[in-house]
Amino acid sequence: MVATLTKLNRRDFLRSGLVFGAGAAGLAAGYAAVPDVFARAVYAGKQGGVVNDKVLVMIQLAGGNDGLQTVMPLKDATYRDLRPQLSKSVDQALPISDEVGLNANLKGINTLYQQGKVAIVQGVGYPKPSFSHFDSIRVWETADPDRRQQDGWLGKTIAKNYDSAGHPLVGCACGSTEIPGALRDLEATLTVVNSQQSFKFNGGDDMDKAMGALYTGTPGIYGALFDTAVTTARDTIAQLKTSASGYTPKAQYSDNAKLVYSSKNQLAAALQLAAELIVTGTGVKVLHVTLGGFDTHYTQQQRHDDLMGYLDSAISSFYQDLAGHGMSDRVLIATWSEFGRRPRENASAGTDHGTAAPVFLIGDTVKGGLHGEMPSLAKLDTGGNLGYKVDFRSVYQEILETHLAVDAKEVFAQSFEPISVLKSSALATR
Amino acid sequence: MSDEQETPVSLQPDRAPEAVDTAVPSAAAPTTAHRKKPKSSLLRRRDVLAAATAAGVGVAAARLVAWANEPPFTPVPVTGTQGNKTGLDWVSPLNTESARVAHLLRRTTFGATQAELEKAQSDGYAKTIDRLIETPIAEPAPFTGGDDASQDKPLNIGQLQQWWIEHMLSTPTPFGERMTLFWHGHFTSDFRKVSPQNPFIYWQNQTWRKFALSDLRTMLYQVTIDPGMLRYLDLATSTGRNPNENYSRELMELFSMGADAFTEDDVKAAAKGLAGWREPLTQAIVDAQLKRAMERGNTPKVPPKADSVKTGVFERQRAYAGAPYAFLGETKVWNTDLVLDKIVAQDATAPFITRRVVTHFAMPTPDDAYIARLAASFRKTKYDVKTLMRDVFMSPEFTATSSYRALVKTPIEYMVHAVKALGDPSIVRAVMGNQMGMGQTLFDPPSVGGWPQNESWISSNTMLARANFATQIVTAAKKVASAANAHQTHLDGVLSAQTLKLLNEATDDRKRWMLVFASPEFQLK
Repeated sequence: MVATLTKLNRRDFLRSGLVFGAGAAGLAAGYAAVPDVFARAVYAGKQGGVVNDKVLVMIQLAGGNDGLQTVMPLKDATYRDLRPQLSKSVDQALPISDEVGLNANLKGINTLYQQGKVAIVQGVGYPKPSFSHFDSIRVWETADPDRRQQDGWLGKTIAKNYDSAGHPLVGCACGSTEIPGALRDLEATLTVVNSQQSFKFNGGDDMDKAMGALYTGTPGIYGALFDTAVTTARDTIAQLKTSASGYTPKAQYSDNAKLVYSSKNQLAAALQLAAELIVTGTGVKVLHVTLGGFDTHYTQQQRHDDLMGYLDSAISSFYQDLAGHGMSDRVLIATWSEFGRRPRENASAGTDHGTAAPVFLIGDTVKGGLHGEMPSLAKLDTGGNLGYKVDFRSVYQEILETHLAVDAKEVFAQSFEPISVLKSSALATR
Repeated sequence: MSDEQETPVSLQPDRAPEAVDTAVPSAAAPTTAHRKKPKSSLLRRRDVLAAATAAGVGVAAARLVAWANEPPFTPVPVTGTQGNKTGLDWVSPLNTESARVAHLLRRTTFGATQAELEKAQSDGYAKTIDRLIETPIAEPAPFTGGDDASQDKPLNIGQLQQWWIEHMLSTPTPFGERMTLFWHGHFTSDFRKVSPQNPFIYWQNQTWRKFALSDLRTMLYQVTIDPGMLRYLDLATSTGRNPNENYSRELMELFSMGADAFTEDDVKAAAKGLAGWREPLTQAIVDAQLKRAMERGNTPKVPPKADSVKTGVFERQRAYAGAPYAFLGETKVWNTDLVLDKIVAQDATAPFITRRVVTHFAMPTPDDAYIARLAASFRKTKYDVKTLMRDVFMSPEFTATSSYRALVKTPIEYMVHAVKALGDPSIVRAVMGNQMGMGQTLFDPPSVGGWPQNESWISSNTMLARANFATQIVTAAKKVASAANAHQTHLDGVLSAQTLKLLNEATDDRKRWMLVFASPEFQLK
C-alpha cells in the first residue's frame, strides 16, 4: 500500500491533516490509510481544465486601506465634520465625478481612469464585519464571512481548474516568503518567487539533485509538505530556466519610494517580477502581491499619501509594461484590503479599523467608471462605521466568471448578486 | 522599505581559507585550492542569494573540496536508526533518557555542541531542566550607541541584529534567548514603525529578556508601557478624551485573550482606560531636537527635559477623567493596572498564552485537555512563566513519540544552530543576509501577529533559501568542525534512508555538514 502512494496524495492528505488539526500521531498512523479514492478524486478534479489566456493579479493592501482617503467625497459636509484634519487634502483630489475624486497621488491611475481602464467598485464589504486584521483578512482570503473555510478562494480556483501539479507557477506569490492565504489550497501546487534570477540553487545542479534525493518520501508529519515544497522549487527552477530570457521591461519601475510607515513589501519590484513571469510565458495564471503599511492609526495623512503614490507608480509602470508587451488585454489587476477605516478620525490624526471601502479593477477589459454605491456618511452604524453596498464576493464572482471564465459557483458553493464591471471576454473558452 | 536600513553584508570570509594555518599540510587535500580568490564584495541583503553564485563563492555541492588546512577526511560510516523504515514516521528515540535530553536541548536552545550535549546527558533530564530554567539569564554586553540613538545617530538595525545573533551563539543561557525570541514574536514590534531614531527597539529587546521568565501580569504591564510598543501600537498618542483603539484591541486579541473573548465595546472601553502614556525622552533625543530647532531659528524658551526612565511616562492630564463605564462586564473608572488585572482574571487568558507556548515549544496541534491542564497550573501560580515552562517540559506529552520532530525550526533557530554546529563564528553575518529569504528578520515581523509557526516556514522559496544558506556557510567557513559525529550530535542518529545514503557518499567534512544542514532532519526540532 505504502509503495503505491504517490507524492500528490500523500501530500494532500497530510496537508489536510495539518490544516484541520488532526493530532500528529493520528497523522502518522494515517499515512498508511490514505485511500486510493482520495488520490483519484484529487486527480479527477484537475481534468477538463479551463483554457484561456487571461491572467489575474491581486494586490493586497495590507493593514486596512482607508477608502475615504482613496476615493474622496468632494462635497460631503459630513466628511469634513468627521475628518477635520484628513479632509483638508480633498482640495487636491483628482475629480472623477461630481461627487468623488481620487487621492491626489493617484495620478497615473487617474490617467488610466480617464482612458476607461479603471473600474472602481464603491462600498465593498460584507455582513457582520470583523474589525480584527487577522479575522477580516481570512474572510477576504477564504471568501467566507463565517470564517469556517480554510482554503483561499484563489487556491480553490486553481485546484478546481488548472493542473498546477505539473505547472508550479500557475498560482504564484511574488515578493513574499510565504504563500498568502488567498492562494492556499490543499489540492493546489503553489510557489513563491522573490526574483526570477536568484531563484536557483547556489550549489548548482548537484545541489538541485541532492535536494531532490534528500526530500523524497520524507517521514513525519511535515514530510509530504517538505517534499512538495522542494519538488515545487525544483520544478519552478526548471520552468524558469526555459523562459528566463526575453524580458526587457518597457516601463521604469521604481522601488525606491521612501515610505515612512511600516511596509516591507516592495510592490514595484514584485509587480516587475509579475510582468516578467507573464511576459516570458512561464504559465502564470493567478499572481498575488502585497503592499503593507495601511494600518494608519496615527498621523495618517503623509503615510497614506505616500502609500497611494507608491501604489500608483507601481501599478502605472506595471500597466505600461504590459501594454508595451501587448498584454494589457490579458491581465486584470484587482486590489483588496481587509477593511476600510472608521469615518471619524481619531485624536492621533489617524483612523481606526472600519468596514466598507472601494475595490479597484484595472485593465483593458474593465468597464471603466464608478460602480456600486458610496455608503452614506450620514447613516453610520452604531459603531460609527459605513454600511456596505456590494458584497466582496460579488466582485470575486465577476472576476472568476468574466475574466478567468471559470465556474464561480464551484469555488464559492453559492452565487452572489451579479455585478457587471468587466467586458465579457470573447477569448475565453472552456 | 527594506532597502533603507539594509546593512551591507559581505559574503566572503575575511581571508582566503588557504591562507589559514598552512602548517598542518594534508596529504589528502590539494595544496592549491580550487577556489577563485574571493574578491571583496559588499551586497545588500536581498542580493545575497543571487550573488553567492555570481561572486564565485557558490561552489557546486559535489565540487566542495577539502581546504588545505583541514585534516584529511575520514569517511566514517554513518550509521543510525533508519528513521523511515516503516515509510511513515520518524522512529522516535525518546524512550531513552539521552535522546530526551537532546530533544529538550533542541526545543530550548540554539543547538548543542557535542560537549554541551554530553554534559547535559550526564546531568540527566530533570537536572537539565532545572539548569535551563533557574539559571539567571545572561545579559549581552550593551549595544554600542544603543542608548544614545537619535535622529542624529540612528540605530544600525543590521548591527543590532548581529549583536543579538552573536549573543544567541555565545550566551551561557540560550534558553533565555529562546524565550526572548518567543516573546519578540508574541509581544511584537517592528523597527520600521518604532523607528531607529531612538533606542526603543533595542530597549524592548532588553526588557523582554529581563522579564522573559517572570509572570504574565508583570510582563503585560512592561509590554504596555514599553516605549517601542507605545509607538508601535499607538498607545502613546491615545488620550482619555480621544482614545486610540490599536493597542487596546491587540492587547486582548493577540497578546492575552484571543479573538472572540471580548466585544467591540470592550476594545473602546480598554482604550479609554489605558490612555495617558507618552514616550520617554532621552538626552540624545532632546539634543537632536534642540539642534534642529536652533537650525530653524526657533529655540524653545524652556528646553524639553530628558526622562530618566526607559519606560513610558504616565501623564494624568491625558488620561480618561469621567464617569465610570463598562469593560468586560464590570463598570468602574478603569486605568492601566485595572485593565490588566481584569484581563488576567479572564478564563480565556491562561489557555491562550499556554497554547502559544505549547505550539512553539512542544507540539503543533495540542489537544484541549492538555492545554487546560497546563493552563490551570499556570493560572494557579499567578501566571508564573517558569512554572508553565517546567510543566510543559516535564509533561509526558512533551517527550511522547508523537512530539518527536513535530516542530519546524524557525529560520533564526535553524541558522544559529547551523553556525554553532559548524564552529566558525566568523560566518555569523551569513545569518543576517538570509533572514529575509527564509521569512524571519529580527526586529521586523511581518505583522502585529508576529511570525507564523511550523508548516508556515515550509514553502518552495524558503526551502530553496535554507539549501542555499547551507551551501553558503559551508563554503564560506574558514574551518569547520569534524562532521564525523554530526549525524549523532545533531540528528540523534535517526536518519531517513536518503540522508543516510548521501552522508555516506559525502567525500569531505564540508559536504557532509552541508547535507546535514540541508536535510529534512535538521529542519525539525
